[in-house]
Amino acid sequence: MIYLEPIIEVRDLTKVFHSRGRKITAVDDVSFDVLDGEIFGMIGPNGAGKSTTFSMLTTLVKPTSGSIKVAGFDVYKQDNKIRPIIGIVPQKLSLYPDLTARENLELMGKLYDVPKSIMEERIDYYLRLVGLESHADRFTGGFSGGMKQRLSVICAVLHDPPIIFWDEPSTGLDPQTRQSIWKLARKFNGEGKTLIFTTHYMEEADSLCDRIAVMNLGKLVALDTPEKLKEKSGSSNLEDMFIRLTGEEVRD
Amino acid sequence: MTIMTELRHAWIITVKEFRQLSRNKALMVPLFLFPIIMIIFFGYGMGGTVKNAPILIVNDDTGIASNALIQEIGSYTASYNGNPMFKMTYTKDMAQAEAESKIDAGMYKAILLIPHDYSERLAQNENVTLTLLTDSSDTTTSGIIVGFMRQILSRAGPVGLEIPNIYGNLEYLDFLTPAVIALTIFMGSVATTGSAIAGEKEDGTIVRILMTPVSRTSVILGKTIYQLILQLVRAVILILAAYFLVGFHMNGSWLLVSLVLVIFTLGGVGMGIVMSTRVDDMESFFQLNLLLTLPSMFVTGVFFPLSSVPDWMRYIAYCLPLTYANDAMRTIMIKGQGIGAISTDLIILSLFALITFSAGVHLFRREA
Repeated sequence: MIYLEPIIEVRDLTKVFHSRGRKITAVDDVSFDVLDGEIFGMIGPNGAGKSTTFSMLTTLVKPTSGSIKVAGFDVYKQDNKIRPIIGIVPQKLSLYPDLTARENLELMGKLYDVPKSIMEERIDYYLRLVGLESHADRFTGGFSGGMKQRLSVICAVLHDPPIIFWDEPSTGLDPQTRQSIWKLARKFNGEGKTLIFTTHYMEEADSLCDRIAVMNLGKLVALDTPEKLKEKSGSSNLEDMFIRLTGEEVRD
Repeated sequence: MTIMTELRHAWIITVKEFRQLSRNKALMVPLFLFPIIMIIFFGYGMGGTVKNAPILIVNDDTGIASNALIQEIGSYTASYNGNPMFKMTYTKDMAQAEAESKIDAGMYKAILLIPHDYSERLAQNENVTLTLLTDSSDTTTSGIIVGFMRQILSRAGPVGLEIPNIYGNLEYLDFLTPAVIALTIFMGSVATTGSAIAGEKEDGTIVRILMTPVSRTSVILGKTIYQLILQLVRAVILILAAYFLVGFHMNGSWLLVSLVLVIFTLGGVGMGIVMSTRVDDMESFFQLNLLLTLPSMFVTGVFFPLSSVPDWMRYIAYCLPLTYANDAMRTIMIKGQGIGAISTDLIILSLFALITFSAGVHLFRREA
């Protein structure tokens, strides 16, 4: 596959948090591009800065310094241009438990200004696609983790965004759900959407991503295709590569 | 983003809030029923007319003055609206200890002890002290009896007695209702706004909403519109309940009442937002909420006049916005005054709304 244009450009990105007088550099001078139409993975141990980077890419948190451009729009000044063209599946599956699946979807659709007729059509289509059509009118409070994940995904794509951010898609899911989530990801990618993942699972990164950014302690320590990463580190699997790059100690 | 878009988005949020409210049956009870229950309980229970309160008069004196006094007490009681407040029993030769035990046993609400030398001393213009034992566990009844006795005794001599029915059911309710409305609206707007946001923070939904193209202003606006509608509906229900269930009388302008309530609700919503940005979950919000609600409830003169509390308590009350809302509501609803009489209250309440709202919007915007 040949990717021509970068759709996300990150330059010298730094984020510093001040907490109880302490200065914490969560993201430290990171630069990379995400190319149009690829599946881009961000991996790293806890505290590596993945989530902070994710929050900055999705316009939720402002960078301390450096720049991010999403589809040419500056994350600092044009976040209102970026939000309508990205879809976000947050790590914390954020559904209103006292609304039904369909009502959650409709709320999202309305907030993204999807015209009503198109919205209803898409909701029916996606509910069938992820096998939730028979649960459409149930409150999501009683949904299983897998059902919530599937519903969250389709909440994020109702407005047909060209870019999808997906924070830890398969954490805590059973293998069946994980498979179906991956299938969905590939389907969206096949439709030309760019996907940005964060994940803990090497297997997931390996099988899904075109390119992987490895982060450690706020820095970008490697960025390449899964094959090249394995090759460079001389390991047969990504897990070894990961441990080699980020160290063995357990992070908090 | 245009104003129309902001408003449309705000309305989406408003509708969502109402839909969630309709699903939350458990919340409906405190929101709508609790204030009504409060009015009924306090209205009938605390300020209620005393009916047939048993009073024992122990007269150890055989003189003319004590006879006159007893007759006075007896005659007045009978003439009260055809509805005797007290039921008098007369006896003699009872020691104070025995009398106390009768109150302990709940046989009498009060016992008046007339000493054997009452008439004699009165005739010689000497001071004489009567002992009135009361059941102080029943504050309302004992308060009424004490007031009643004081009035009678202050007019030594054959002066016609007049007991103004300031203790009556109606009057206390008139005093209570405006403030209960203000209290309800305040507690309701702070608690429902704050706990909703705290809950949405807890389950991540607020962050999810903020990821959409909807501006934070729209989110706050949507929640505010929801609160204004909800709180005004609650106020209407309360007023109707007070009117039909306990016979509350409205003397002033509904328009002014609405104005005070709208401004006060805005302040409450602002306060709720500010408080919700200081906590991460619902549990902590409710702890924080207690800190605000409890003093507001008991110090600001909802249940008793502010003039009756000690100075230090009054100073605390002056720092709490509910004090001014209570005053404004009473001035309008009981005294029937116009906007001039509540201008100070309105200015303070508007400042409160302005400050909490700006702070709330500012803090909410800063949050991720």
